[in-house]
Amino acid sequence: MIIDSSTMESEDEESLLGQESEDENSELSDSELQEAFAKGWLKPGMNVLVDKTKKHVNNVEGLKQCLAGFRKDLPWAERLDMTNLPAEDVIYKAEGKKPAVKIGDVNPDDDFQREMFFYRQAQATVLDALPLLSKHGIPTKRPDDYFAEMAKSDQQMQKIRKKLISKQLILQKSEKAKKLREQRKFGKKVQVEVIQKRHKEKRDMMTSVKKFQKGMTDKLDFLDGDQKKPREPSQAQNKVAKDNKKGPNAKRKYKDQRFGFGGKKKGKKWNTKESHNDVSGFRAKVANAKGAKKGAKGGKQNKRPGKSVRKKTKSRS
Amino acid sequence: MSAFKRKRGGQAPGNKKAKKAKFVADTSEAPKENEQEKTHEITVPAPVSQGKWKNKERVLIFSSRGINYRTRHMMQDLRTMMPHSKADTKMDRKDKLFVVNEVCEIKNCNKCIFFEAKKKQDLYMWVANSPHGPSAKFLVQNIHTLAELKMTGNCLKGSRPLLSFDPKFDSEPHFAVLKELFTQTFSTPRYHPKSQPFVDHVFTFTINDDRIWFRNYQIMEEDAALVEIGPRFVLNLIKVFQGSFGGPTLFENPNFTSPNMHRRQIRLAAAARVREKQMVKELQKLKRAGTKEDVTIDVTADVFLTPADETPVLIQTEAPEPKVVKKNKHKAFKRQRMARK
Repeated sequence: MIIDSSTMESEDEESLLGQESEDENSELSDSELQEAFAKGWLKPGMNVLVDKTKKHVNNVEGLKQCLAGFRKDLPWAERLDMTNLPAEDVIYKAEGKKPAVKIGDVNPDDDFQREMFFYRQAQATVLDALPLLSKHGIPTKRPDDYFAEMAKSDQQMQKIRKKLISKQLILQKSEKAKKLREQRKFGKKVQVEVIQKRHKEKRDMMTSVKKFQKGMTDKLDFLDGDQKKPREPSQAQNKVAKDNKKGPNAKRKYKDQRFGFGGKKKGKKWNTKESHNDVSGFRAKVANAKGAKKGAKGGKQNKRPGKSVRKKTKSRS
Repeated sequence: MSAFKRKRGGQAPGNKKAKKAKFVADTSEAPKENEQEKTHEITVPAPVSQGKWKNKERVLIFSSRGINYRTRHMMQDLRTMMPHSKADTKMDRKDKLFVVNEVCEIKNCNKCIFFEAKKKQDLYMWVANSPHGPSAKFLVQNIHTLAELKMTGNCLKGSRPLLSFDPKFDSEPHFAVLKELFTQTFSTPRYHPKSQPFVDHVFTFTINDDRIWFRNYQIMEEDAALVEIGPRFVLNLIKVFQGSFGGPTLFENPNFTSPNMHRRQIRLAAAARVREKQMVKELQKLKRAGTKEDVTIDVTADVFLTPADETPVLIQTEAPEPKVVKKNKHKAFKRQRMARK
């Protein structure tokens, strides 16, 4: 045991140490303490047991001698050993990242990085060694007709191949399943749309037939069937431009008028001179429409014919 | 095995793989080749190495008792990979370690790889240069064998390996000794009778996290495309000795904790955590109990006391008179009253 005596300078430290040393000193028997005192080891002040730091053997001289003793100076062709850093990380370079991996920087817990480090070290060895091997006349490529026993049996290789194939199959299956699911969703959507379209067409047909019966229209255009006029791209553009020009929706406009900018002012007159003279609601096209298109906005498409005409058509149908 | 494994073109004189020599390695080929021999004229095969095999390096690979299946398979894999190796039966643990030297001598081997299993959990590996040379003891971890399906590479049985070392092996003297030891042990001698002339795999030794990582890759293409063959393991250096399986210690790894110590530390840590939790619980209990004080004196008792006027104390010495009970004065019952009316 080593007894270390500290001076009385830092009293806080000592009180702490004192607690520890009390416990430890209580383990020492009185006789031992008396002996130590007699020998002069114990000095006034706090005495603390200190652990001797364990010395690890590192006999450099011995190691070097040993190495010199047992090393065999064989030609390289016998040993085939290389010492090198790992090869350039191609992937890192391609991504533009700086390879932060030097020896000692590899995180041993990062499996992928670590294994890649070993792989690249082997690669560098192979790249450096191949010219040397060819120089010494040691072949690396097996000729095609050279068959010999391999380290792993054929059965083993078959198992490995099967495993790889099964992995690939699983992957393919899962991909197929995903695609099918997507298709089904999409297909369902398309189906729903088609059905809705059909319903809509039927509804429209019925309404136009009823209108004709009631005498609201005297045209039989709807019987011609779905003859969609081929829309030119300019027409489509025009349509889009027109929509943009008309500004917000009629609904939006109405709501703005009623609730926008503080809402309707109370007690305002309704039928005034200004409102009478206001012709902003007049749409010349709609008013003078003779054979307007189905999709035309604003106003009634087909004006209701007069009583006599209606009677005539009614009796006729 | 199937027919395609037969070697064709094996009659060339330059090919030292004479059929007789291959008998040991390809036992399955033997019957077919014997038939062939009978049909052709009998040629005296050339001596195996044609006198070129100079580097007589032999490695004895064996183990003690009590190893588990993974270790056993790894040992067999090493024997497969190293054609210059010899096998031996399991050594009894009762014998002292320097008996291994004698076994090596008997087998005429000058290197030894000895696996020692303790507690059926920990595996130690000794790599030694048998008669006089240095030896090293390692703790082996993370063993993966050849038979694992993730190791997809394959190589010729007995082909010579390239050895690849980390530059760190040159930095420290103990690593330099280890490097020399590994080089001599793992490299197959040229023109060894059981070896194949091609070099198609590479052993890698890398130092990382104060351990030596061993990997074995197959060289697929000339542009260094590699596939792992296996086996793979991690060596944790414990000590380097000057003699074989004994002798003065030349180097001791300061960062090495024995697996027992490691397990003990884990257990102590767990125990310490439990104790801490208990202490914390107790402290909390005390706190809760401690704050409750027995209220004996109500401090607020005399808040509403108003001093009253002094009244003379009247003491009654005589008992008070009994109260006259005014009972019903001859009042008849109601019914009778009604009847009277």
